[in-house]
Amino acid sequence: MNGEIQPMMMVVVALIVFGIGLFGLLIRKNLLIMLMCIELMLNSVNLCFVAFSKMHQSVLGDLTVLFVMTVAAAESAVGLGLVIAMFRTLKSVDTDQIQILRD
Amino acid sequence: MNLSYLILLPLFGFLINGVLYLRSTRNSKKVSAELSGGIATVAMLLSFAAALYNFFLLRQLPAEGQLFDQMLFPWFKLAGMSVDFTLRLDPLSSVFCLVITGVGSLIHLYSIGYMHHDAAPAKYFAYLNLFCFMMLNLVLGATMPHVFFGWEGVGLASYLLIGYWYHDPEKVGAGMKAFVMNRIGDIGFLVAMFIAYKFVGSLDFIQIANTPLNPEMTTTLGLLVFFACTGKSAQIPLFTWLPDAMAGPTPVSALIHAATMVTSGIYLLARMHTTIEASATTLSVIAAVGACTAFISAVIACAQTDIKKILAYSTVSQLGFMFVACGVGFTIAGVFHVMTHAFFKALMFLGAGSVIHALHEEQDVFKMGGLRKKLPITFWTFVAGWAAILGLPPFSGFFSKDEILIQSLQSPHGSMPLFLVMMAAAFLTAFYMTRLLVLVFLSPSRMGQGVEKSVHESPLVMTLPLMVLGVASVVGGWFGLPIHEAHVEEAAGSSGRFIMLASVALALVAAFIAYKKYGKTTKVEQVNDIAREGFKIDAFYLSFFGNGTKNVARWMGNLIEQQVIQRMIRWTVAIVDLSGNLLKVAQVGSSQAYLMMMFLAIFAVLAWFLFGVGQYAKF
Repeated sequence: MNGEIQPMMMVVVALIVFGIGLFGLLIRKNLLIMLMCIELMLNSVNLCFVAFSKMHQSVLGDLTVLFVMTVAAAESAVGLGLVIAMFRTLKSVDTDQIQILRD
Repeated sequence: MNLSYLILLPLFGFLINGVLYLRSTRNSKKVSAELSGGIATVAMLLSFAAALYNFFLLRQLPAEGQLFDQMLFPWFKLAGMSVDFTLRLDPLSSVFCLVITGVGSLIHLYSIGYMHHDAAPAKYFAYLNLFCFMMLNLVLGATMPHVFFGWEGVGLASYLLIGYWYHDPEKVGAGMKAFVMNRIGDIGFLVAMFIAYKFVGSLDFIQIANTPLNPEMTTTLGLLVFFACTGKSAQIPLFTWLPDAMAGPTPVSALIHAATMVTSGIYLLARMHTTIEASATTLSVIAAVGACTAFISAVIACAQTDIKKILAYSTVSQLGFMFVACGVGFTIAGVFHVMTHAFFKALMFLGAGSVIHALHEEQDVFKMGGLRKKLPITFWTFVAGWAAILGLPPFSGFFSKDEILIQSLQSPHGSMPLFLVMMAAAFLTAFYMTRLLVLVFLSPSRMGQGVEKSVHESPLVMTLPLMVLGVASVVGGWFGLPIHEAHVEEAAGSSGRFIMLASVALALVAAFIAYKKYGKTTKVEQVNDIAREGFKIDAFYLSFFGNGTKNVARWMGNLIEQQVIQRMIRWTVAIVDLSGNLLKVAQVGSSQAYLMMMFLAIFAVLAWFLFGVGQYAKF
């Protein structure tokens, strides 16, 4: 008990990190920052997986984390590529400037 | 015994001629009347042979069991009841089959000559064979739906043939009128079928006859069936289509509108006679309507100038006679008159066709005259028909018509007023028929010079059917119905013999009056009275039902369309508009705003399920 990190503590930390990521995703206007926020959210979920894996003495959670990290890497590669493409065509990465969905 | 040939032969004739016609429209080469007419006539003759063969086979069965059912295929299933496509031959349908195929073949043969110059004889003969197929279905059907199939089919064929010369809008209109008026009568048939289905549980005629119903239901069923018959058989109130139906080619008038289709009402009453005769109300309604029709249309016939219209009203009147026979509970006399009438009326129609053909489509009897010398065969056969309809002995009409007259007085359902009306109708019949005969054949010629020179007797293909029918008009009544022997003798007591004498004397008096009045006609007479216009019944129908319907439609257009439907549409538009305006606020176009909404929604759903917010809002 003492000195060891409690799984619930890790879940709370994960929740806080997820909240930061979500908050950032909703209010920041820069696409790059938004991508980073998404990474934050993904990693908070990873943290949860690890915590629960520890809690239930199961290796499945750890395994899933590896998968999520792989997918996250691919996702950020694609996302960054998209951001660069958008910057090239629209000359901006600010979501206030990019509101072409409405038109 | 195999009945399928009977109906399949005309069907094949129809299909072959139909294909020939369709091919001829593609390569625009006319199929000759000889070829298509030959196919159609051979089909009908073979069908007649089949009818004869089956008739004799039926005769060999014992008297009680003269019934033969042939199931062709299962037709359809309703809740708790399956209906098969079954042909049923019994003495009644056998007689009708003989008349249809026999008179039908003669008229097909005649048509070859009559339609010789027509543009598309293959189409005409296809329709004619289709009609015969449907008519045979009508009389051979063992169930009400089967008869209804034939009933509608002959209506269709009649419509197609009345409007056969479809370039003339008047003829097309006449076809439509016949079709619509028949549809009105069909309501009666349909509702009668519903009643039979509901209360009898079967649509087979034998089942219907053997299932006793309560008296009200029996009366209703009988009256509905009779209403259907007033449409098809041109009785009051639905008789006005028949005179207009004369717009069709004359052989069509002879076959459909004199000999066969219009008698299908009598057939139906005879087929359902147990139901009809179980109710005194039904019987008296039928007798009253029949007598009124017989009398009124005889009056109208006296004032017509168109040769075919005279014959048409005469047909309506004779159908009235047949209905009176059914209405006094003596269906068999009606069927007997159907047979003799088929002979002599078909004969007169074909004779009229021969006259019209010779005079180049002239139909006004006041523009004819003196044709006795020019058209000798037509004249003498016409005289046979004339004598038959007058009821002169020994012509066929004498036996059947006098039987009806006698029964209208002597039957338990007959009465003196009924008898007197019928005698008056018979008197008028003799009058207008003699008038027709005298004006066309005996009086001095009133034809134009050009027409008179080119008048010639019709070719053999047209006169042969006339001669055969002429012989049939003479001998047709001698043997009574082939299914029913020695009827006249048994009915005729001393008063019966007196009635016979009286009716013959009356007919001769009427004929003499007509001869005196019209024998010396030299100029075109203009008749302009109310009887000539059919007592304005048509005009009344037009103004009352025609314009009435139009007015109701206009009213509906103004009220329902403007006030209800338009308003509903406007409301729908307003609702869509409003919801669009409300919801477009959410469509800001910023992906982050959408994200926000998405997360808020997710949180709401999570809150509902995880934290039990929903438990405070139980539905």
